[in-house]
Amino acid sequence: MIKLLLRKCLQGLMMIMIVSAVTFALLGFAGGDALTQLQDNPQISKDTIERLRSVYGLDQPLPIRYFRWLSGAVTGDLGESTYFRVPVSGLVWARSISTFLLGTAAFAIALTLAVPLSLIGVRYNSTTIAAFIDFLILLTASTPRIVLALVALAISVRLSASAMDSSSAVLFWLAALALSAPMISAFLAQFHGELQRTMREDFVKLARAKGLSEGNVILRHAIRPALNPVLTIAGLSLGGVLAGSVIVESVLGRQGLGTLMVSAVRARDLPLVMGVVLFTSTAVWLGNAIGELLQAVNDKRIRF
Amino acid sequence: MNEYLSIDGFSRRRTDRVAVFGWLVIGLFALCAVFADFLAPYDHSAQSRFEPSAPATTIHFSGLTPIVHARHVEDPLRRTYTEDTSVAFPVGFFVRGYSYKLLGVGETDIHLFGVRSTSGSVPRINLLGTDQLGRDRFSRLLYAVRFSLIVALIGVLVACLVGILIGGVSGYAGRLMDTFLMGVTDAMLALPTLILILGVRAAFPLELPMTRAALLLLLIFALTGWAEMARLTRGLVLSLRKREFVVAAVALGVSQTRVLFRHILPNILPSLRTRAFLLLPTFLLAEVALSYLGVGLQEPEPSLGNMLTAASDLDQLRMQPLSVLSPALAVFLFTLGVRLIGRSERA
Repeated sequence: MIKLLLRKCLQGLMMIMIVSAVTFALLGFAGGDALTQLQDNPQISKDTIERLRSVYGLDQPLPIRYFRWLSGAVTGDLGESTYFRVPVSGLVWARSISTFLLGTAAFAIALTLAVPLSLIGVRYNSTTIAAFIDFLILLTASTPRIVLALVALAISVRLSASAMDSSSAVLFWLAALALSAPMISAFLAQFHGELQRTMREDFVKLARAKGLSEGNVILRHAIRPALNPVLTIAGLSLGGVLAGSVIVESVLGRQGLGTLMVSAVRARDLPLVMGVVLFTSTAVWLGNAIGELLQAVNDKRIRF
Repeated sequence: MNEYLSIDGFSRRRTDRVAVFGWLVIGLFALCAVFADFLAPYDHSAQSRFEPSAPATTIHFSGLTPIVHARHVEDPLRRTYTEDTSVAFPVGFFVRGYSYKLLGVGETDIHLFGVRSTSGSVPRINLLGTDQLGRDRFSRLLYAVRFSLIVALIGVLVACLVGILIGGVSGYAGRLMDTFLMGVTDAMLALPTLILILGVRAAFPLELPMTRAALLLLLIFALTGWAEMARLTRGLVLSLRKREFVVAAVALGVSQTRVLFRHILPNILPSLRTRAFLLLPTFLLAEVALSYLGVGLQEPEPSLGNMLTAASDLDQLRMQPLSVLSPALAVFLFTLGVRLIGRSERA
């Protein structure tokens, strides 16, 4: 267990280093920084800009700047946003709360749909329910988040004659639903498929043979091993949720991590871009690690 | 398609029918993309200043001939229109309009349908209404399908080339290289791609002309989209590298690159092709997302993404939700079509 934790941490650290280095290098090579725009201002001389550059350390070579940024990032200092003029870390934290809530709601929707539906499908073993699950998987897999978000927008505009109120509960749940669609399909496909496979295993036959009712067989014996792939997928879909939040939040006008990234890109606010990239890749790594740990806790057969 | 996997003939036929529907949808999209200028009654950037944000034209019938009437703005603020029913203009097929090059060669001005000009000013027929600049939304949609599909298609090709190269090297070169490359691949797979794409996009200027924006998108796709293909290629290469014909080639002294590209690659190409096809919606969606956010393909050229920005005009969205969201419907249909085909390929 400890070994697994250590390995995961090392992997995550490597991933975050690579991603941040690549993004930093790309942003650096493309040229242009927060001071480039000042060149258009006739009241600011070239000397002033050069002096400002050296004050902010922008005249240093790229590796040194990356190292400075990294040592700041370790202590939680991600620099100052050139557009919002506040520290990046505070901005990212504040915005991530709303995205976190939305993502949690999306996870909840996907789980409450996928788990009971799969259980019912396996318990009654009916072709109608199986066909319905198949249809739902296909439908949710082929409805992109941006389409759902736009439909949600159209619905909410229809519902309320007045201007959109981004704080309304209806809009929140519509946004969460739009965010959850690909997860519904992934969870359903994994959980239903794995449950069906598990029901053919020997230990399930044994449980039936000792006289347990079908419902008890599922609840007490089949669920746990079948839950494992769902945990993997849940950990992995965190990246999708964060990417999807960019779209859903933009369409439905919510303030969150996604819209923060969009405004950072639009304003070419490089410290903020780096901050959001660092935050999301850390969050994704955490999600994956938690998913794998839960698996090990859930299924004692897994040894690392 | 594997005939041996079917249990009975019936279920086999049913999955095929579903796949046929998928192929029909994809074929329709291909036709729209290739013949966009023939199918579209108007040029995608031709503005009709007196008809901004108009609803779809109502088509009346006089006997068996479809006719349309000219319309005038009644209330410019609420964008309501009244029809002038005194003069009827017949709608016909193969009507002359603006000239274009069919398939890039033959210059012609015949369009599939349009309003026949009898005299003077002819009203425009807008099947899906017009946008805020009075441009025909139906024509724009057809061109948008063309532009977006081209970008998605080339994007898949570029990303797949990178992925196949990385995956092939990773699977064939062995331990240390494999561990490193697959570590990077796993990281790429787990990361939120769109945020990564946006991060790369931030390195370049916001406003770009059409061709440069498209090239930039392709570059970004190549940088961020190769991971899935690399994973698949590596697995396939690993499964082949110990087979007799590969060992025989190595024993004959064939160079490593040649073994990889001339002996292994041709054998795994069919699986790679299927997966590449299934990746099409992913890249189409990336284009849609970026253009919707204003950092992808930009006006005046239409793309499925930048057409959807019209949805931020909430009044129009309320009045004509179907017209405004028609590009979203197109995206949905395309994804569905590819999924349906993919399902039967896997079955």
